[in-house]
Amino acid sequence: MVEPVYATLIWGVPYLGAGILGILYVVGVKNEKVYGIFSALTLLTAAILATIVGVDVLRTGHPVLHQFKWIQSINVSVSTYIDGLSAIMVILVSWLSFLIGVYSIEYMKGDWGVPRYFFFFTFFVGSMLLVVSANNLLLLFIGWEGTGLASYALIGHWYTDEEEYWVGVPGRKAMGTPMYFEPSHSGLRAILFTRVGDIGMLIGMAIMYMLTGSLSITEIATKAPSWMAWLASHHVLTLTLILFTLGALAKSAQFPFHEWLVTAMTGPTPVSALIHAATMVKAGIYLVLRFAPIFYYGAINSPAPLHAVVVHDTYQFFTLVAGLGAVTAFMLGTMALVSNEFKLILAFSTASQIGYMFLAAGAAGMLVTEVNNVGFAMGVLAGLSHLMSHAVFKAALFLISGWALHVAHSRFIDKMGNYAKYMKWTALSMWLAGLSLMGIPPLSGFFSKELTLHAAEEAHFGWGFILGALAALLTAGYTTRLIVRVFHMPPYEEPEHEPHEAPILMLGPYLILALAALAIGIAWGPMTHVLAKAGQLTRAGALVLKVPPSDLMIHITSTVATILGGAIAVILFVWYLYKIANVNFRAILARSALAKATYDFLFDRWYINAIIYILLVYGFAGFAAALAGVDFGIDWFYHVGLLAFFGASSFALRALHRGRPDYILSMYLYMAGIVLLLAYLFWR
Amino acid sequence: MATILGGPILWLSVFLPVLAGLIAWLAKAESEDAARITAGVSAILLAIPGALVAGLYAAGMVSQGVLDPVYAHFKGIGTLALAIDGLNAPIVLGVSAVTAAVAVYSVRYMLTRIEEMKAEGEDTPGMGAYFFLYNTFAAAMLGLAMATNLVLFYIFLELTLVPSFLLIAYWGYGDRKRISLLYFVWTHIGAVLLLTGIIYYGVKLGTFDYLLVPQLKPLGPIEGALGSAAKIVAVLMSVGLFVKMAVFGVHMWLPYAHAEAPTPISALLSPNLIGLAGYAYARFVIPSFPTILAGWRDFLVALAFTTIIYGGLVALTQRDFKKFLAYSSVSQMGYMLLGLATLTSIGIAGAMMHYLVHAIGKALLFMTAGVFITDLHSLRDIRLMGGLARKYPLTAALALYGFLHLAGMPPSPGIWSEWMILVGLYKVYNHPLTTLFSLALVTAVALTVSAAYSFITMRRIFYGQPRSDRAREARETRNAMIASMFGLLLVGFLVFILATPVINSLMSTVSLVIAGLH
Repeated sequence: MVEPVYATLIWGVPYLGAGILGILYVVGVKNEKVYGIFSALTLLTAAILATIVGVDVLRTGHPVLHQFKWIQSINVSVSTYIDGLSAIMVILVSWLSFLIGVYSIEYMKGDWGVPRYFFFFTFFVGSMLLVVSANNLLLLFIGWEGTGLASYALIGHWYTDEEEYWVGVPGRKAMGTPMYFEPSHSGLRAILFTRVGDIGMLIGMAIMYMLTGSLSITEIATKAPSWMAWLASHHVLTLTLILFTLGALAKSAQFPFHEWLVTAMTGPTPVSALIHAATMVKAGIYLVLRFAPIFYYGAINSPAPLHAVVVHDTYQFFTLVAGLGAVTAFMLGTMALVSNEFKLILAFSTASQIGYMFLAAGAAGMLVTEVNNVGFAMGVLAGLSHLMSHAVFKAALFLISGWALHVAHSRFIDKMGNYAKYMKWTALSMWLAGLSLMGIPPLSGFFSKELTLHAAEEAHFGWGFILGALAALLTAGYTTRLIVRVFHMPPYEEPEHEPHEAPILMLGPYLILALAALAIGIAWGPMTHVLAKAGQLTRAGALVLKVPPSDLMIHITSTVATILGGAIAVILFVWYLYKIANVNFRAILARSALAKATYDFLFDRWYINAIIYILLVYGFAGFAAALAGVDFGIDWFYHVGLLAFFGASSFALRALHRGRPDYILSMYLYMAGIVLLLAYLFWR
Repeated sequence: MATILGGPILWLSVFLPVLAGLIAWLAKAESEDAARITAGVSAILLAIPGALVAGLYAAGMVSQGVLDPVYAHFKGIGTLALAIDGLNAPIVLGVSAVTAAVAVYSVRYMLTRIEEMKAEGEDTPGMGAYFFLYNTFAAAMLGLAMATNLVLFYIFLELTLVPSFLLIAYWGYGDRKRISLLYFVWTHIGAVLLLTGIIYYGVKLGTFDYLLVPQLKPLGPIEGALGSAAKIVAVLMSVGLFVKMAVFGVHMWLPYAHAEAPTPISALLSPNLIGLAGYAYARFVIPSFPTILAGWRDFLVALAFTTIIYGGLVALTQRDFKKFLAYSSVSQMGYMLLGLATLTSIGIAGAMMHYLVHAIGKALLFMTAGVFITDLHSLRDIRLMGGLARKYPLTAALALYGFLHLAGMPPSPGIWSEWMILVGLYKVYNHPLTTLFSLALVTAVALTVSAAYSFITMRRIFYGQPRSDRAREARETRNAMIASMFGLLLVGFLVFILATPVINSLMSTVSLVIAGLH
């Protein structure tokens, strides 16, 4: 057994580190190396602690709980609980953070905002680790908001908004709405889009708190049957669950909240890798994986008279989650097909892949009607395994993009090409990570993606499964297009600089991650045991996520074979189009109006951004302007209208008693009488 | 049972700052050094009640309350006493922390302002007079928060009004004579309505007490004692306090006064003064008229949301930084009203917590505005700012922390008040489906609007490229202004981390406030 306090230190150390970095800045330490190295050491400490605790939990089978009181009267405590799910998350998050922290030291060299960068970077890691290890909902929420704040600050890291840091094609508009975003604009979008979801989450939390009198996740889980029944009896169960999950949907950039993640690519690339691919956007799916078992348990154990209603409402909720996941997986996949920015393609891909995870967790929950506990556990762990494998390969892809953008001095893939000639190791990493993303065996992505689709199949979620399968083909398409164009074809536009291989501090991290994607895939057999163990150790009331490890293995069925075959066919087809047939896509676009319209539709992201802006952003701006008009009216009424009225009355009344002493005297006596009367009443 | 303090610390904490100000005024402390000394002494004296509250929190004595040993009973009036209990402790802390920090902040700002006015050929009173008025204003707010009796409350209310009126009239901006008068008249309208209610209350009950001394328990419901007039008194007191709080409809005076006051005074008016009306609502209106208020609950919740959304959206359209902050104060008062209107213990406690949160956050932001006014030749127009984070990194960080208070996000204590107010709200309104759905929608709009105006303004001021020469040539210096802001940042952070005694004692005291409801 480890010391329980280690559990708290996992997130405590990075927070402390961030605090020290802040103080260093205020007292005027100028040397940028100090910040990078200190931050990396802090993250390493957290990673070691996380490994010690996490491995201990998985090995001994005893979750670690460490807590102390905070605000008793509103049931907030500092309670850290490392169970199976948390153990995997803390290990994953802390090591990725450390690797990307090291990469950042090199990447951010010479930048004018190094202290601020590492402050928020470290603060982010603390917050993220808090999210995945907190056992008190409000404590979790504090970490949750902390990740949001750090994300906001880091997306807008280059807040001076020079054009080289934008996302999107300068000048491009869709339905009159600009489709290019400055860093400060992107940061604003990130925090506001996610804020909307967070409010839903707060409301959901408030209702759970009201019904259970507790913020402890364990206790909310244990009492799930009763509070869910209460809500169902008042016809608000589905809505409450949705409200609570809005925070997760927004954080994980699921439709219709996905827009913020796309433009978050204005941040420095290591930030995109860590926060907007590997970790923070996973906070949402983490929350769903954490609470899906609770809701599932609550539904199947709800008291008899309301049982049917609770199950029905819970099923509705899970269907929505799975559906949104499937839609996101497909929709964002199509957008990635036509994008011309390296990081943007990866961003679309991230949202799309997280869609898979929501699909898996949602589909698992849909089994509530059949009380299929093993199937449920399988689905949840499918979501977790895709989370894990995606974190690894997507971090690698983003770190590669950081180097690719650096050598091209551009974010557009038109200016990149033939990189395979200049950087062998980077190309190798790219292929490994890319194939994993496309779900090709024996890489990790294959297993986790097939598991996810299997979960959808198991739940008889037909259209969700079809969208998911289509998204798998899209993934193969856009990833191959990206790799071929950047690594194996001459650039469309001549770059100003000759590419060369990355320095070791940058190459190292992504090579390690790409190899890890391979290693996890090769070792999938043992991995299934770890996952199954983690599932068993994950608390959800009295239910545990029990599933035999063999269920997490992929068995070659006709479905698997079809999807895999389809993906390979797409890869070859795209390769053929670009490398052998040499299809000139630009010429096609110039010729065909239909092709152009489709292209614009996808390139402008299904016009969703434009619609959101026109309806909500401009809508509220117009409303605000109208209210400013109302305010002017109120002001005029009080400060002009009323004054004029009284001025006029006074003028008229003055005419009455000009030079009339008798009148004035009687008024005086009358007033004196009132004063005396009051005095009498008072002293009576 | 309340603890009786060993000496008249509470009276002294009100009296001494006034005395220090008076001495500074009479001694003509006009030079920079003299102003510094005056500011230092004033800051220390004003910080005493805050330190006292912190000490009482640490000692766990706030929940039962502490009473100043000097109090007097008058027949027909009641007991004039000062006390601190769980309900007003965060208020006293907020007033004390902000007024102390702003006292330090004032020196550089006011010296610049006076110089500027002299350069324009205006005759203006000096720093001595400023500190006399400033300290009187601050001390009166402390008295207001600690009073246990309506007569004393009203006296302190008037005592806040006169110095703040003069401060605006002497050193304000724009059409300051008219605006100070406007402020005076409006606040008086509120005060007179309140006074009418107070007189009826006192005459009918034979006492003006709202807290029983020395138990420090609320008087309890008086609806029975007032009979048919209870509703009228409740209306008078409510409207009077709402004017002071600048709730939607009677908010019109606030943007003028708070925008055109000299900035240190804005940093007292907005964060401290208006919220005291919300405190007063919890202190004597809710305990006195629980049944009547229960009937008004829906209306008050709607009014609160209207205020939040209206104030927030109108704030977004402002070009003047200070006017923006003023409208944001209107919006933030909506949150206080929302917490009060839930009539739940956690909601009311959240509202009091929000007083403290708003005090710290809004003071930081007004102080930010003041930094630019002092450094950048009265730059207030947001359209002419932009890119200032690059030039003013510390100020930008401080302002961001201030905005986090308004948006209700950690690591500011705003998360506590936001959470508590929402829990209170959804304790009352959680079903049926249409109620929950529409209220969730309105909540989402309200909270998003708050976050939106915070972060949009952060961007307009601090990010992008400078949009004027004044903003381009700016450069941060580390001076007393920034230092005092850091002091407030520290208070905010400590309140976030060490919220335990604040919230615990609020929760235990608030249960007395709503005792009549059940």
